[in-house]
Amino acid sequence: MNLTRRSVTAGLVAGVAMPAVLRSALGQSAPIRIGMVLPVTGPAADSGKYALTGANIALDRVNKAGGVLSRQVELVTEDDQTTNPGAVLAFSKLAAQSDIVAFLGSIRSTQNHAMAPDILKTAKPVCFGGTDPALTKLGNPWLFRFRPNDSYSGRVIAQYGVETLGKKNWAVVHSTDAFGTGGAKALSASLDKAGAKIAIDQGYPNQSQDFTPVVLAIKSSGADVIGSYFTFDNDLAIFARQLRQLGVTIPWVGSASITVAGAVKLAGSALYGTYGVADYAVDASPESKEFAKLYGAVSNVPPDNYSSWTYDAIGVLCAAIAKAGDTDPDKVRAAILATQGYKGAEGEYNFDQFGDGLHGYNIVRNEKGLIVFDKHIEFTD
Amino acid sequence: MGSVLQLLFTGLGIGAVYALVALGFVLIFRATNVVNFAQGEFSMVAAYLMVVFAVDLGWPYWLSFLLSLGGMAVLGAIFNLGVYYPLRNRTFLPVIISTIGASIFLANTVLALYGPQPQVLPGWFDTPGIQLGQVYLDSQYLIIIAVTVLLVAFQYWFFEHTLLGKKLQATSQDKEMAALLGIPVATMIMITFVYSAVLGGIAGILVAPVLFVSIQMGSTIALKAFAATIIGGFGDVAGAIVGGLALGIIETFGAAYISVPFKDAFAFLVLILFLAFRPQGLFGERVAEKA
Repeated sequence: MNLTRRSVTAGLVAGVAMPAVLRSALGQSAPIRIGMVLPVTGPAADSGKYALTGANIALDRVNKAGGVLSRQVELVTEDDQTTNPGAVLAFSKLAAQSDIVAFLGSIRSTQNHAMAPDILKTAKPVCFGGTDPALTKLGNPWLFRFRPNDSYSGRVIAQYGVETLGKKNWAVVHSTDAFGTGGAKALSASLDKAGAKIAIDQGYPNQSQDFTPVVLAIKSSGADVIGSYFTFDNDLAIFARQLRQLGVTIPWVGSASITVAGAVKLAGSALYGTYGVADYAVDASPESKEFAKLYGAVSNVPPDNYSSWTYDAIGVLCAAIAKAGDTDPDKVRAAILATQGYKGAEGEYNFDQFGDGLHGYNIVRNEKGLIVFDKHIEFTD
Repeated sequence: MGSVLQLLFTGLGIGAVYALVALGFVLIFRATNVVNFAQGEFSMVAAYLMVVFAVDLGWPYWLSFLLSLGGMAVLGAIFNLGVYYPLRNRTFLPVIISTIGASIFLANTVLALYGPQPQVLPGWFDTPGIQLGQVYLDSQYLIIIAVTVLLVAFQYWFFEHTLLGKKLQATSQDKEMAALLGIPVATMIMITFVYSAVLGGIAGILVAPVLFVSIQMGSTIALKAFAATIIGGFGDVAGAIVGGLALGIIETFGAAYISVPFKDAFAFLVLILFLAFRPQGLFGERVAEKA
């Protein structure tokens, strides 16, 4: 074969152009990829497992129904090691993959804060579960929250404790991370509005091995009810056990972490009779019941908010991509913001201009280890 | 007064756990001149073994305890052969890095085998605790304190009154001289690793009913135990005990009377003060004086 200048040039052009042509042709049938940052290692590794299960149940449903835009949807996961640097690194690894169209971030506010600058640079939608109200007020248009934020949880805890339980002298116990301080601030503001008094506001560092000083401080404060924002199940369980051992029996209304399966199992009877705000409660709606059924088929642990928010996030995200008719980030973003009346496992999603999808909470009670739905409180303001 | 006694009891209980893990640090340091950063993981592995035997398989608690400690003895021997022995003639740095690598390996192996969910291990007694006046005595903390006292007494008797203990001491003080005297140094170091793994295991099993069983439980304890070792005087057995107990009490009282959020900071503030003003610790000798 004679090599001429023309044939070499044609070969080079074909060689350079072929990947793009192939990519374009295959792009129509290649799966839509969604990145997910989750803890596989570190103190919250168990919650990562639940989150992945919830997301996979939703993906399975979507793919069995024919996928989105006639393409299957797949998850690409990275371990955040339950740390902020780990979350940033995990997100960077995912963001470097240009075919990922959107992401699932963390349920931990502090990690979402850490990732936020990179999310802004990446300019693709990130669905997250952290409940610090500030996260959707950062001016970052790519953040979408799939749990009610703590301005709602604070209001519900305060409302339930003050109006239903009739308690007006509060002990507020919270983690000193972004989630805990944000939640405590929201609760304190709501209690102030409700005319209740804060007898003690007690922060603690995550992974504390002993809560004796906290319990003794609550005891001597004269508080008649506890409101709490715990980040990790084991901290909550150690606190609960020491609280009961040292004879503190006042009512306790906690943030969603008091209702999750891990904490309920670890603390056992120490959490009996406590109340919690829960974005997910099995009996809250037909959709939450359906999720419980699907989850029960693949897991021997009861579903909780670790799995329900990722289940809803995948559902809303896929519906938004289908509605946008494209995976273009701006179009998907607009479609998520336009989502109204989507009935998920956690409730009805009505996105506001800031990217908050849910605006209310369920109140549940721990009845001898079973999380029992009491009522749902929805806010319109 | 009730609060002070309550804090003192809890501080002693937590401190006793630090002391047990610190003892493991000290023994290995004395025998090999390196810090074993996997000491905390020994506690974690033992706690998981206990969960497997006592909870999953439902075997009697005492049998599960003995089997778990047997498992730790085997792990200690493997650790010596796989992590320390190949690097024994190198400087301390590669050995330390090797122990850090081993600690990550152990944590991730347990994670892969057992999953990430924290586990509940019941305590020794059905009674969770007793009320003594205004003070609640958690039965598990009582056991922790009692076992620490017993182990310290055993250790004193073993090292001071048995031939094997004296051989171990001789090895830790001067390996070359010990070898010249006919002491099998490699075997002595092997025994030290086995004993340290068992000690770490006892600490892990004792503290598991209080702190629950999780992958990161070892590293949380080990960090404080390491600080306790420095405060007590690196390489000193009595120092490890006093350092551990002191650290437990300081952080508990610091949290109660100064600030809970800075609880961990108190421990490390004390550590920094010791490093700055008394680097040899409470019981350590100045290196210059040794020479």
